[in-house]
Amino acid sequence: MKRKLKKEFPYLLFILPAFLGYTTFTIIPLLSSFKYAFTNWDGFNRAEFVGFKNFLDLFGDAPMMRALLNTLVYAVSVPVLVTVLSIPLAVLLNGKMKTRNLQRAIFFFPSVPSVLILGYLWSYMLSPTGRGLINTILAFFNIDKVLWLGTPVLAMVSIIMVSVWSQVGWHACIYLANLQSIPSSYIEAARIDGASGWAIFRHITFPMLAPSMTISVMLLLTGSLKVFDLPFSLTNGGPGYSTLMVTQIIITRGVTEKLYGKATAMSVVFFFVICICTVIQLSLMKKREEKLI
Amino acid sequence: MKKKSSLKGYTWKTFLLEIVMLLLCSVVVLPFYYLVVSIFKTPREMGLNPLGLPSALNMENIKNAWSQIHFLRAFLNTLIVTFSTLIVVILFGSMSAYAVARRKSRFYKIVMLYFLLGFMVPFQTTMVPLYQQMQRFHLINKLYGLIVLSTGSCVFAFFMYQGFINTVPYELEESAIIDGAGPFRVFFQITFPLLKPITVTMTIFHVMGTWNDFVTPFLFLHTRNNATLMLEMYRGVGEFQSDWPLMMTTMVLIMAPLVVFYIFAQRYIIDGLTNGAVKG
Repeated sequence: MKRKLKKEFPYLLFILPAFLGYTTFTIIPLLSSFKYAFTNWDGFNRAEFVGFKNFLDLFGDAPMMRALLNTLVYAVSVPVLVTVLSIPLAVLLNGKMKTRNLQRAIFFFPSVPSVLILGYLWSYMLSPTGRGLINTILAFFNIDKVLWLGTPVLAMVSIIMVSVWSQVGWHACIYLANLQSIPSSYIEAARIDGASGWAIFRHITFPMLAPSMTISVMLLLTGSLKVFDLPFSLTNGGPGYSTLMVTQIIITRGVTEKLYGKATAMSVVFFFVICICTVIQLSLMKKREEKLI
Repeated sequence: MKKKSSLKGYTWKTFLLEIVMLLLCSVVVLPFYYLVVSIFKTPREMGLNPLGLPSALNMENIKNAWSQIHFLRAFLNTLIVTFSTLIVVILFGSMSAYAVARRKSRFYKIVMLYFLLGFMVPFQTTMVPLYQQMQRFHLINKLYGLIVLSTGSCVFAFFMYQGFINTVPYELEESAIIDGAGPFRVFFQITFPLLKPITVTMTIFHVMGTWNDFVTPFLFLHTRNNATLMLEMYRGVGEFQSDWPLMMTTMVLIMAPLVVFYIFAQRYIIDGLTNGAVKG
């Protein structure tokens, strides 16, 4: 036993740093979150157990409910739009164009700078003042000024648009990598059999993209659920609470206002929302992948 | 040979498509073009002529932006945080993955499940208690606080490496062990160099993510001396928001390092973030 332990000892040292860091900075805070969610702790006074009060209070907290709704709207729209746009883009980029490498680099580019900066940039571009680029362009076509960031629905639309713009190229590149691994013999055989371009896409290319679709949609879904930087810089949650997202409200309630119980109750609810969304998405998409084999 | 086959099937249809796609590309980069031409304009010129080329190469904005933001300080801070956390994540992630991939006992399977659990936990859920935890350890407002914190996010690297190590043949390690090399030597001299592809992917993921990260420094770094580039951006917006060209110049300055990195390492970055995502 002792000798075995001695042999095992170096390997335990291999695990130790990651294990300690992970336990201290992920697992313990996670457990604390679950604990605080049932107390009225404010950081100073002794915490008292309050049962499900914090969770029930969430329903009465209008900004929190709104943030949850906004996040769900955003987290459904962005993955759907990015997927619908990036697959055709990838197919085109996989074609015979001479400048396709250049195009790939250009479409990918918006995912390089930080989303925070992109949000600020677009907040200027969408501005309703005389200098806002988008409204200037619209005016050129004799279209009236649009209050992009000033009306609740359009503000959300703007955030979704900017997010899609910044991520489409990257996700097209993920699909492109997958497309390049599809044996060309499949497509040639179908073509010889007289299949149309659409039929080839529908019955060969699209099903063969299942593995990259699982990854791409998962990245999009988890990324969108956690979104913070973009709404923070583009609209700062406004107008009103119309683009407030869960992350921002947790920071406001938990760090700024020190309402630990409420903030952690929200984060616990959100944890389950993310778990459920990811599990559903993965199980649906894995099923599609299995059909391939 | 390669050229010939790519020219085959290049019809007028492809040509038209190419033109359309290049137009689409220009729409996609339009915001960046707008950003770059604005840095040479006065606010008045920008209002009159938002998309045209600047009338003169006016360097005023660059000078002002440079003096307003603590660029070098912030750049250095961002660099320190990005690279130290990169080393932590690569080192600890690959080491733990190695032990779990090579030792087959049940204990390591449990460790893996334990790590898998954290994979599901979003930062949001742990954020509030984490802030408390960091306060308790006096790690708030310290650059090394972020480095210590990164030991908690080795799980992603762990799973990337763990999958890859399973595909690396064991024979080389075996012969080294027979020659009397200890586990540390085997890992660092034999296995780790073989993990290069996944290390490159991991590096790209980590550098892009950490360099652009705003939430973590926003929560844990408060004084200006410790500000990263993104925090300087945030501060800049708060201070001289109404001077558009100056704001645009600040954005360009803050974006510049990563954009330069992209221009030089473009192939690695795209491959790292795509192939890596598909295979990893």
